[in-house]
Amino acid sequence: MSLFTICLIILVGSWVFLRFVVGGIISVPIPGSVIAMYMGLIVIAILVHISVEDSLFREFRRPILETLVDDKRRLHRRVLVVLIPLLLLGYTYSIIAQRANPPGSPRDAHPSPPLELTYKDEVIGTMQDVVNPFRHYEKDDPEAFRAHVENGKRVYHHNCFYCHGDHLDGQGHFAPYLQPLPANFQDPGIIPNFQESFFFWRIAKGGPGLPAAGTPWDSAMPIWENTLTKDEIWDVILFLSDYTGYQFRTFGEAH
Amino acid sequence: MRIRTVALLLILFGMFGVLSLTYAQNAPEASEKGKQVYENSCAHCHGTEGRGDGSAAENLLPKPRDFTRGLYKIRSTGTGELPTDQDLFDIITEGMPGSSMPPWDTALSANDRWEVVAYIKTFYDGFKEAETPPKQINLSGKVPYSEQSVETGKALYTELGCVECHGNIGRGDGTSAPDLTDEWGFQSWPANLTQGWNFRGGADTEDIFKRFVGGLAGSAMPAFEGDSFPGFGLTAEESSRMIELDNKDEMTEAEEEESAQLYEKYDAAVDIALNLAEGTELSAEEKQIYDDAMKVVYEKSWHLANYVKSLMPEKRPEPAIGNNVLRSQYIHGELPEMDNAAWETLEARYFPLVGQIVIEPRQFNPTIDAVNVKSYYNDTEVAFLFVWDDRTHTTDETDEETGKTLEDALAVQFPAKVPQGPTAPKPYFLWGGRLPVYLWHWKASAPEQVTELTAKGVNNAEVQEAQGELKAQATYTEGQYKLWVKRALKTEDKKDLQLDPGVFVPIAFSAWDGANGDVDTKRVMTSWYTFVLEPVPSSKRFIYPPVIALLSVGFLFGLRAFVQRRNSEE
Repeated sequence: MSLFTICLIILVGSWVFLRFVVGGIISVPIPGSVIAMYMGLIVIAILVHISVEDSLFREFRRPILETLVDDKRRLHRRVLVVLIPLLLLGYTYSIIAQRANPPGSPRDAHPSPPLELTYKDEVIGTMQDVVNPFRHYEKDDPEAFRAHVENGKRVYHHNCFYCHGDHLDGQGHFAPYLQPLPANFQDPGIIPNFQESFFFWRIAKGGPGLPAAGTPWDSAMPIWENTLTKDEIWDVILFLSDYTGYQFRTFGEAH
Repeated sequence: MRIRTVALLLILFGMFGVLSLTYAQNAPEASEKGKQVYENSCAHCHGTEGRGDGSAAENLLPKPRDFTRGLYKIRSTGTGELPTDQDLFDIITEGMPGSSMPPWDTALSANDRWEVVAYIKTFYDGFKEAETPPKQINLSGKVPYSEQSVETGKALYTELGCVECHGNIGRGDGTSAPDLTDEWGFQSWPANLTQGWNFRGGADTEDIFKRFVGGLAGSAMPAFEGDSFPGFGLTAEESSRMIELDNKDEMTEAEEEESAQLYEKYDAAVDIALNLAEGTELSAEEKQIYDDAMKVVYEKSWHLANYVKSLMPEKRPEPAIGNNVLRSQYIHGELPEMDNAAWETLEARYFPLVGQIVIEPRQFNPTIDAVNVKSYYNDTEVAFLFVWDDRTHTTDETDEETGKTLEDALAVQFPAKVPQGPTAPKPYFLWGGRLPVYLWHWKASAPEQVTELTAKGVNNAEVQEAQGELKAQATYTEGQYKLWVKRALKTEDKKDLQLDPGVFVPIAFSAWDGANGDVDTKRVMTSWYTFVLEPVPSSKRFIYPPVIALLSVGFLFGLRAFVQRRNSEE
């Protein structure tokens, strides 16, 4: 087998491997730009290899030259002189006739909150310092704590579960047709990464309360401070961690 | 046979046995574990006592199941029978599409689901008292899907009176549809048979057959038992002959006798069925007549199931997200009117609707599944065709509680100005906010009219001063609205959205079903989707590719000439 054929097999094989094996059988499809990058690297590697020695380069280009001029390769030549222009024709056409697709929706999944936590216009405190006023019941008065959690559960099932789901996994029966999808509180990366004050802010101000970095404001999350009392929001937050078993992030005294 | 082979076979059989056990099994004894899982995951809807009165139930329709009556909609068992354990397990696992019951396959382990099955059975003593296992519906006589079978099923659909609730072509718009209630007195909308994805127990032909033969216990859907079939006890030919004779204005003597004979046979078979229902022993001859009659009934039921299956698309259409946006097609000359066949050639985009649960009063239980949209444009105008199913045609009803007028309606929403760039903010999806939206509001009471609004919030909408830029036509037939709207791409009114080809414009919808109590903010809606006047493909596509192909031919010949020359020089 000639060096040229080997190089060709390596190129085509790598593309098939990346596109269909890695990006299909093994994992999710790889973006075209990433594949192009890898293919570029492989081409460079081949070029480096064949240009190391003059003899290698001659060996590499021999079949090309033969195909171009040798009488034995007349058939190859005829096929290629039809095939190459045809492929180019199809490729350029597909690029020009491609229809435009809408721009993606870049979105900050964890927008930074304001410095101050407010409920309607009332300032509750600084985002970093505000704690759930009922959290201390967990240790001080378990019965009162249960009552707050139960109330949070009731509020959740009257307002939130349609989208965030019975199981708090963001798969409520309205969820599939919302973009972006409702938050999944069973995801270990959600509750443990945020303070309760952050959740209060997101619940109270909803999608419209997101900062500029959160645009284009597609979130269907309502402004719950218009509907729920401050205590109800804190109760729901207790329920979220109680049901999922995840602890909200805290700062301050060590545990 | 060598011992090793025998052992291997034994192991294989053992594995097979275990597998088949996990496939169909009975629930374990009710335990503390089941109670715990139930209270944690189910009680908020179904209530701690299983009465279907959990705190969430208040806002839900269909209501969560009341387990204390032993009435279960989705069963593999005959009418009046309890469900099998496997039935209960399957419902928990797969959920009930079109209701608020989610699938629990990922949230609860199979073990937990079996424990819950055992626990919910304790709410109804009938499970304990039952001496024999519930009798399952025999699925063995399945009639394969064919056009012939669908035709037969279609005739039965009318004969059996399905149209009264499910409507002439199955959109759930029958005359009695608005008045149906379930066992508990709650509203019970008949299924829209063209939307199989909302069938509570699945939309396979077998599922449809089981619902039909076994009924949906507790709902308004009866079981079609043998003797409720016209012509019970007759063969298919005999029963169609009977109907044919019935429909004759005048019968000859021979025909009258024939008819009387058929009726006699029919009455005899019905008597046998009644006797059987009362528990009377049947003679061997009677049993034979009954079994033969039931065989015909089952076959007919399969035809009916095939017909219902023929009414729905294979699966729910994909929502218009990602690159699947609403693309208006360019055409030369006049835009097609509503009835023009040109609309048939376009594929509709599907916009599923969800209840508006952001602002009071809220709609927790939507009755409109989705709106399907097509669009054409030419050099000066754009036309849209909006199609959506609504079981009732409501133009002027009064809401008993609020005194407000209820009517069916649709609103199409655009931003007043197209956001520039992907990170530019859009107006709030629910009729705008700080940034205004531009709306087309159509109401069923004035079907030829579309009002233009500008809104900065759902309760802050203004009717624009300049109206009359929109032309509209609308029809309501067989449970389906069709609305055709046409507007100029460019208008004089500064408050209107101006349309240019190739610009991606956010679009959203709101819809109201008057019969479901929809009014003002109580409605169904979508969040933002995308609409574009698809640009006419560039004519460059006919120039550049051939030029490039020709250049490549030239290059190849040039290369050959170059190599030849060099070779000869060497």
